[in-house]
Amino acid sequence: MLKELIEYMARALVDKPEQVRVSEIEGEQTSVIELRVAKEDLGKVIGKQGRTARAMRTILSAASTKIRKRAVLEIIE
Amino acid sequence: MPTQEFEGKTLDDAIRSACEAFQLPQEKLDIEILSKGSSGIFGIVGARKARIRATPKETPLGKACERAKEVLTEILKYVDVPTVVESEVREESVYLNIVSNGSGLLIGKRGKTLNALQYLVSKIVSREVGDTVPVIVDTENYRSKRESNLTEMALQLGERVKKSRRPVTTGPMNAQDRRIIHMALKEDQGVRTKSKGEGNLRRVVIYPAKKTKNIPDSMTEAKSNAQ
Repeated sequence: MLKELIEYMARALVDKPEQVRVSEIEGEQTSVIELRVAKEDLGKVIGKQGRTARAMRTILSAASTKIRKRAVLEIIE
Repeated sequence: MPTQEFEGKTLDDAIRSACEAFQLPQEKLDIEILSKGSSGIFGIVGARKARIRATPKETPLGKACERAKEVLTEILKYVDVPTVVESEVREESVYLNIVSNGSGLLIGKRGKTLNALQYLVSKIVSREVGDTVPVIVDTENYRSKRESNLTEMALQLGERVKKSRRPVTTGPMNAQDRRIIHMALKEDQGVRTKSKGEGNLRRVVIYPAKKTKNIPDSMTEAKSNAQ
């Protein structure tokens, strides 16, 4: 669910949605969501002063609160 | 948008019934004339009704509004809160209202989550449309409650500044909230407002108004109070 959330948001933000890769490393309490996008799209998922990345993290934490978990979004270069 | 055909005794009648059916003025309809209609001879023989085909014009904002609703609905589906999104075009911006069970989850601390949703939906839709689309995301009337709270706070701070003749600074605020403060004190001749600081730490400073030639009543009043 968290993985799909990030995947949907990232795909909608970039120019090359087919190159969006998201993986989830599930821990006992914390999940790490790794997001990979095309090099040219990196700026789009991060945004000015990290604003887009921050917005995605905020929504991610709301979603994970719902299922009583913690989730961290890592954007991988 | 659906296309429908309308009939009437005259062309005007047909157009009028189209406007009524869509609840739109004539300028917002694309009208194709199928038959002009004729009254025939003496209005009896060979009378034909006027027929038109009408389609509501798609406004760019209306289209963006539909898309914004779709995007927000999709995001909320993954957040796993049962919600319904209502959408409308309101004062040149897209207004989306989330109807849900009323937990504060979607609002977050000081509207953090709501603002994140708003920012992302606006960003996604603007990119697709190719033009900035102002989007407002609201739930449980949060936006209007916040606006009245901030307006009240601004007025109180304004009074304090006028009494003390010293500037007062608010806490850090986002652009939307700062705008509310500026608007609330815009009409007040006794104070002036300015935003200061960088990025997320921008605040509003409320200053007592400078002494001007035509000192307004409120200011002389404030001055005499201070003395």
